[in-house]
Amino acid sequence: MANDKTSLQLITRGILSENPIFKLALSMCPAVGISTTVMNGFMLGIAVLFVQVFSSVTISLFKNKIHPRIRIPTYTLTIATWVTVIDLALAAYLPEAYAKMGIFVKLIVAFAIITMRLEMFACKESAKDSFWDGLGMGLGFLVGMMVIGLVRELLGSGAILGYDVLGFKPLLFFILPSAGFFVVGLMMAFFNWVELFYKRSRRG
Amino acid sequence: MFGRQLKYCIIAVLLILLPTCVWAAELISQQKFTGKNEILLTFAAPLDKAAAKNVRTYMVFEESDPDIKLVLNEVILSPDGLRARLHFAEPLNTAKTHVVAIRDIDGKEKASVQVKKSYLGYLLSILISALLVNNFVFTKYLGLCVFFGTSKRKTTAKGMGVVFTIVMVVSAIMSWFFYQFILIPYDLNFLQIVVFIGLVSLTVQAVDTILRKVNPVLFNSFGVYLVLVIANCVIIAVPLMMANNNYNVVETFMLALGAGGGFLLALYLMSSVRERLDLANIPPTFKGLPISFIVAGQFAMAFLGFSGLQLF
Amino acid sequence: MKDIMTIIIRLTLSCMLAATVMGVAFLVTNKAKKHNQHVNEQKVRYSLLGYSEQKPIPESMTLHEIYRYIVTSADGQSIGYLLPAKEGFIFVTIDLEGKMLENKPVQIDEAMVREKEERDKVIRKVVGSGKDIAFADQTIVVTDNGKRVAYLLDGKFTGFKTFIGVMLALDPQFSILGLEILEHEEDPGLGAEIKQKYFKNQFKGKSFETLKKLEVVKEPMPDGYVRALEGNAAEADAAEILKQYVDHDIYALTGATISSRSVNNGVKGIVKKFAYRLNILDSVLVEQKIAVAF
Repeated sequence: MANDKTSLQLITRGILSENPIFKLALSMCPAVGISTTVMNGFMLGIAVLFVQVFSSVTISLFKNKIHPRIRIPTYTLTIATWVTVIDLALAAYLPEAYAKMGIFVKLIVAFAIITMRLEMFACKESAKDSFWDGLGMGLGFLVGMMVIGLVRELLGSGAILGYDVLGFKPLLFFILPSAGFFVVGLMMAFFNWVELFYKRSRRG
Repeated sequence: MFGRQLKYCIIAVLLILLPTCVWAAELISQQKFTGKNEILLTFAAPLDKAAAKNVRTYMVFEESDPDIKLVLNEVILSPDGLRARLHFAEPLNTAKTHVVAIRDIDGKEKASVQVKKSYLGYLLSILISALLVNNFVFTKYLGLCVFFGTSKRKTTAKGMGVVFTIVMVVSAIMSWFFYQFILIPYDLNFLQIVVFIGLVSLTVQAVDTILRKVNPVLFNSFGVYLVLVIANCVIIAVPLMMANNNYNVVETFMLALGAGGGFLLALYLMSSVRERLDLANIPPTFKGLPISFIVAGQFAMAFLGFSGLQLF
Repeated sequence: MKDIMTIIIRLTLSCMLAATVMGVAFLVTNKAKKHNQHVNEQKVRYSLLGYSEQKPIPESMTLHEIYRYIVTSADGQSIGYLLPAKEGFIFVTIDLEGKMLENKPVQIDEAMVREKEERDKVIRKVVGSGKDIAFADQTIVVTDNGKRVAYLLDGKFTGFKTFIGVMLALDPQFSILGLEILEHEEDPGLGAEIKQKYFKNQFKGKSFETLKKLEVVKEPMPDGYVRALEGNAAEADAAEILKQYVDHDIYALTGATISSRSVNNGVKGIVKKFAYRLNILDSVLVEQKIAVAF
């Protein structure tokens, strides 16, 4: 299967039409769990972006050397290696952000989105395209996390990136853990609504 | 058939827990916390009344702070002289192990016992905590992909939950052995992720093979879920938490059991709701995943009510 | 058969490759991690004492670290302190009644003292065979021109969810100079608020006598007090308001009474135990005429 998409198309696809959080509904755990602030979402997004890009490139570089029968174990090993690297690096250089994300950095290893991209894209395409695809998917995740974080931080503590913008706290509920489900559900519904609206208006 | 297996499971659990409750000393036959600042001692034979009533006979301290003696206000002796209630000036930290030593008049130690909350209670509290208070789905937000993917029908939900529990328990115990005897002694803690994910895949593979050979009927109904198990964070979270909290093998077993049970519970609850949602009239934009998320959020709020629950 | 061989070889190769990557990452990050941890600790310590980058700690001030051990031998337990002497280090053991048992010099490097494993090894040698040691805690005595000005204590206690790790600064009369929450896993929006200034700064300025009886009250916090604690009020006003509440109980966080209470009890316990131990240690040092650096 030849890939005829430009790098830009690969990136935008990851962010918009195949957004891992809102469209593919994969890797929901962190989207609900730690998206309480924009910063948290950003940090985990960066970690996922790193793992996704590096694993994609690694797999596509070695794609001819990987025996088809041990494909999945090799993917797991690759992902686990890069997760370990980012885990160690975050613990060493950004201990405060690391403490906030807790167990979720280590859990990147079990994110379905990464394995899926390796299986569907990286093992067939060139290293360059895999890089852009990984970047797109990672960015899609990052943007999704930051949007959810933005909504929750603004409504929950009336602040953005820790800066007080509203001057009061509208609804403490949104920063509470269980609100993650509501925010994600409502946003999915919103995206569906936009899509429906768009389709209807086109039909006339 | 399920009933029999369940019975075996219960017997096995009881056998594992039994040795932990046997504990006795010679002079003092029983000791326990009976209030915020009270310890109840039961003697094997009545003590000399004057000595037993004397505050100076007893020396009480927290095990980790042997140099700080707790101040006793008074000792109330029961009429038969067999039970003594030690009243302390300040509330005790009952989470810590306390040591009660009984001394002669000249200050020589005659006997000492440890007072602690019962270990069985502690184990059960780990189980309850993983099952309800810190339910992996509703309060820790793990395993959501599988949770939303397989909670459409009750039968699938049950099958999935059972398979998860089995894999969790087996892989957690294996991970514990690896962690205690390989990773810690050789200072290889940074390999946690790789080792644990490897063990999980191994367990899944093994359960797959064994089930296929031993019980093909069961395999036909459960086998499909096994593939889903590997790419799931619930399973890998258990060994990671075990490593974080430094649990021993029995505690790890309880954690895994609770986590698996909690997942089963969450799946079952969710599938019951979703079967009814199929019949309900839902706005088109909310059909499918969005409404499931809202329902899950309501469950999560309900589970918030369990927080702070302490039975033991 | 040939298939299996190639699979094995390739798996082994990829495992080795992965191991190299992880090993290199570990070696690189481990050093940085230790360094950053130390820098961070130092920063927290200075900030508790009221110093920052703009206002560096004066030259005359020194931090002396004291390590407490529990020594267990066949005839009972005793408490051992690793103290900085005028030159080098000494290990003083005190029995449970507060009488000194031993005072031995310890040969250890200034830099090595901070490494737990090295320190344990050396102390094990010093106490001799047949005795077991367990590290209990670490205290820092801050001196200015040889006079004690503050104590820094580390502590850990159970919170609502898991452990809460704190650092406390006390003045020589055991009044609280500052409280910092180092680690916790409380719920965001509820228990996690213990990290906020308006909660932790309530402990600031509480005297030892007040602290002993300090309770948590479930009352709405006065607005002025919150502003003063957050550092948003004018300086003169803030001092006035803080003075007004100096003997007041701790206001509980909304929806997190258990977390508030456990911090209160934890802090109380740490300070009380420390005061008790320091008195014993000081009287032993005076009685035995042991010269120490602090």
